[in-house]
Amino acid sequence: MTLTPNFWPMLQTASLETLYMVSVSAALTTLLGLPLGVALVVTRPGHIVGRLWRVNSSLGAAINALRSVPFIIFMVAILDWVRLLVGTGIGPTAVIIPLTLAATAFMARVAESALLEVPHGVIEAAQSAGATTWQIIWHVLLPEARPGLIQAVTITVINLIGCSAMAGAIGGGGLGDLGIRYGYQRHLLDVLWATVLILMVWVQVIQSLGDRVADHFRS
Amino acid sequence: MALIEARQLVKTFGDGQRSVEALRGVDLAVEEGEIFGVIGLSGAGKSTLIRCLNRLERPTSGQVMIEGRDLTAMSESELRQSRRRMGMIFQHFDLLSSRTAAGNVSFPLETAGQPQKLIKPRVDELLELVGLTDKAGAYPSQLSGGQKQRVGIARALAVRPRILLCDEATSALDPRTTKSILALIEDVKNRLGLTVVLITHQMAVIAQICDRVAVMDNGRIVESGPVIEVFTRPGHPTSQSFVDEVINQTDSAAGLGCQPKGDLVRLLYTGRLAREPLLSTLGQRFQVEAAILQGRVDQIKGAPFGTLLLDLAGPEEGRRQALAYLKSLELTVKVLNHDADA
Ligand SMILES: Nc1ncnc2c1ncn2[C@@H]1O[C@H](COP(=O)(O)OP(=O)(O)OP(=O)(O)O)[C@@H](O)[C@H]1O
Ligand SMILES: [Mg+2]
Repeated sequence: MTLTPNFWPMLQTASLETLYMVSVSAALTTLLGLPLGVALVVTRPGHIVGRLWRVNSSLGAAINALRSVPFIIFMVAILDWVRLLVGTGIGPTAVIIPLTLAATAFMARVAESALLEVPHGVIEAAQSAGATTWQIIWHVLLPEARPGLIQAVTITVINLIGCSAMAGAIGGGGLGDLGIRYGYQRHLLDVLWATVLILMVWVQVIQSLGDRVADHFRS
Repeated sequence: MALIEARQLVKTFGDGQRSVEALRGVDLAVEEGEIFGVIGLSGAGKSTLIRCLNRLERPTSGQVMIEGRDLTAMSESELRQSRRRMGMIFQHFDLLSSRTAAGNVSFPLETAGQPQKLIKPRVDELLELVGLTDKAGAYPSQLSGGQKQRVGIARALAVRPRILLCDEATSALDPRTTKSILALIEDVKNRLGLTVVLITHQMAVIAQICDRVAVMDNGRIVESGPVIEVFTRPGHPTSQSFVDEVINQTDSAAGLGCQPKGDLVRLLYTGRLAREPLLSTLGQRFQVEAAILQGRVDQIKGAPFGTLLLDLAGPEEGRRQALAYLKSLELTVKVLNHDADA
């Protein structure tokens, strides 16, 4: 049995593209999603800045709206804006924008539920010690929720890998693109299964890495 | 002037139909240097009250004066300063699980902006104060309940407060650990000149360390005074039931499983009376036979507090005089049933 011509170079290029899309959008997502998750928690009624509950409901509504659109539709919907911003609607760089936006909404929610696990008493103990809101966020909420937040980042990254593969279907490049155009449309089974295998291995590695780091911080 | 004062404190949770009046006009004055206990059944409003004292809960109306300043009128930053004058410890300890014992103790020092080089020696000093020097590097999950509360106490005292607020600080601990934690609270109170407000639903806690006690029932303080007085002369059914819980007394002959021959008399006494040859005096001077049906001695703040249930039998005149004699002594006499036909 012979491999499709250019099998290895194609896989390499596609893997690097996916790696690029996923890592850049994962970094941006964490940067945006984590603060949003914190905002969702602290502005809940009864939480440390519960008086800002209006912020909470608007933010919640916006995030829900974003999350209710399937990624592939969302990507097409904002294509014109993306073109305006990066000059092109296709290719890995263009895809980073919708990927980041969609994953940020996801991340905000999973980070929120991790942060909600911090017992209220611990927060009150910090308040009664005279800590400010920022000090409570930095020195109580984030460190106490650290294992959960690491898990949140982990599943967000895995989610991003999935979405980036979907993005490939409409010209995003990367492994998804390769799998669909060569593997599926041209029926090159070796390419198809190679992309599947690579994606599976990545997801496994990232998940177990995430678990291990999270466990390290559980005391 | 009292160090802590609550005036007409009202706290209502929720609104409309489902509102709960947790505090219905509470007045409280805690003097400098005392250990003030608040006791009440579950839901009486104790936690709400103590949480109003450092504004973890904002009162619906009324005032909280700390060191003469109105806490309810303070800005956030003034409030933070005031909170640093009041340490607080909690029923479930509420330590940071991501920090070691030492890390927990250093938390208030860090948030108060103290320089790093002063924090370390202060933390060591505090851990020594609570007897946990060897556990400095342990995480809360590696500590027992009593040890966790010691960390809680060290943390509460880190920024040298004048006041220590304890919300059910021993309720999650076994009786022996409870005693040792209470002893520690009393010890640090004496050493550091603190004023302590302590919430509990166990009268034994009040008896061990409090100077004064307020009894709460349904959002109100129904009785307050020196602990010994509330023990000897409880003036409200709720107080009475708490006292009974400690001295475990039965108020009827039926409860004792025997028929008294004469008057059933309960004596409550404190301190030196324990040495009087009471029973022989009764026999020799008044010709009454005094049988002890029940008796025990407890400690209130280290002083003996005894209860005796006597069955006084003999001629009526003798019994009358005997009772008069008992009433002339420094003790509380309660006649539970006059033997009508004797
Ligand atoms: N955050 C809250 N929201 C609504 N109701 C509350 C809240 N906190 C307390 N309550 C209600 O206020 C009343 C007094 O509660 P509180 O916690 O002060 O009682 P407690 O004396 O401390 O009782 P326990 O011994 O069970 O701790 C209760 O009826 C309780 O249900
Ligand atoms: Mg309570």
